[in-house]
Amino acid sequence: MSAAAVQQRRAGRGLSWRQFKAILRKDIVMELRTKEMVTSMGIYAMLTLVIYQVALSQSGAAFDPRRIAAGLLWLAFVFTSMLGLNRSFVHEKDQGCLEALLLSPVDRPVIFLAKAIGNLLFLLIVEIIMIPFFSFLFLQQGSYQGEFWMIPLSLLGGSIGIAGVGTMLATMSVNTKGKDFVLAVLFIPLMYPLLLACVSATTAGVLGGDGHIQQFWTGMAAIGAYDAIMIAAAWALYEFILGA
Amino acid sequence: MPEVCDTALEVRDLTRTFGVRKALDRVSFDLPRGAFLSIFGPNGAGKTTMVKVLTTLTSPSSGTAKVCGLDVVQDAVELRERIGLISHNPLLYPDLSAEENLLFFAEMYGVDDSADRVRELLVSVELDHRRLDLVRTFSRGMLQRLSIARALLHRPDVLFLDEPYSGLDPHAMDIFDSLIAQIREDHTFVMISHDLDKGLELCSHALILARGRVVLAAERAAVDSEQFKHTYRATVGLGVA
Repeated sequence: MSAAAVQQRRAGRGLSWRQFKAILRKDIVMELRTKEMVTSMGIYAMLTLVIYQVALSQSGAAFDPRRIAAGLLWLAFVFTSMLGLNRSFVHEKDQGCLEALLLSPVDRPVIFLAKAIGNLLFLLIVEIIMIPFFSFLFLQQGSYQGEFWMIPLSLLGGSIGIAGVGTMLATMSVNTKGKDFVLAVLFIPLMYPLLLACVSATTAGVLGGDGHIQQFWTGMAAIGAYDAIMIAAAWALYEFILGA
Repeated sequence: MPEVCDTALEVRDLTRTFGVRKALDRVSFDLPRGAFLSIFGPNGAGKTTMVKVLTTLTSPSSGTAKVCGLDVVQDAVELRERIGLISHNPLLYPDLSAEENLLFFAEMYGVDDSADRVRELLVSVELDHRRLDLVRTFSRGMLQRLSIARALLHRPDVLFLDEPYSGLDPHAMDIFDSLIAQIREDHTFVMISHDLDKGLELCSHALILARGRVVLAAERAAVDSEQFKHTYRATVGLGVA
């Protein structure tokens, strides 16, 4: 049977869609049961924001922490997401489950998509915890002149890229000895352009001021372009990465 | 319906290298449908690498391998629908129940009657009374029985057994044997074993690997057990030039 015929038969059975739903449902059920990823990420994110707030508490009245608040938010979020992404494949390594998954007749990009969307959901839950806490710590002093809706929107755009690229990199690093270190070394340089755009867009939302609308949408356009290019690349490379 | 094949395995000059080390070195052999092949060899002989290549988990560096007439590289996705693997690792999610695990893998294989099939298999491996319990609470023997159910979900033609008796107590081994005996007629088996007596007792074909090469490949009926053991021990002790 030719590869095209196999694809046609599988498409007729809707197999890829069933597999996608099965992997996503399994990840959600396991997370609801163990609460390993969301709990650890949520607590870590809040602790990091508290440390930043304490570190800036003695900077004096002349210094407005809001000028760097967007950067601090993204610092906390990037470190938090690395913690979660590392854990996202730990379940798969337990008792050889990744091997069992790879033994099934699933197209590898389906695994990527399901894992990436699962990771995105968990990151979004952490953001729901983080944003009010960030607002309480950094946006309460003085009069707030920014536009708050820009903050969650820029976080959403950045999270899509982090989930996509992070899932690919977590897959690469899961079989390495120092997987935490390997993920960080690969993740930060690849995230650099996304981080620049995200910090710019979030800063527009935190500070407001002249030209903040343009700054926000320029940042969001860069985030969108990064997400599209990197997720397409991760999708295309995933089979190779799993086979390496 | 999957096509029926007379030859379960066709392996030709199969080589797999890791850096400069050859885990498999021009391995060639055939196995007819319905046979039970036991593969023996010392640690590092290339047994697990061979099973990984035959189950599409690793690509060969050169040579070809076909399982049920399907090439392990060209036809990998379709081939995965025709094979099952039972390993010393259970390959099950510890934080899912027995039923959830089987339903998950049934979806991954596109099993149409998944709920009925899962129920039927849980009964046949005598775990239906534990179907809602998390797999992490299972004993080694129970994990291995559930692992059989997972491997049989999609009604594969060829079953690969990678040291399946590892860590099982005698009672669990008896249960495992009886389950294998129940499905013996309908499947081709490829088993890696360090236990010469058990491997020879079960097999219709035997193969000794050492340093990635085939030292001996023969039908069980044509092999004298003592001579075979002698050859194996000589291989383990001396290696192969």
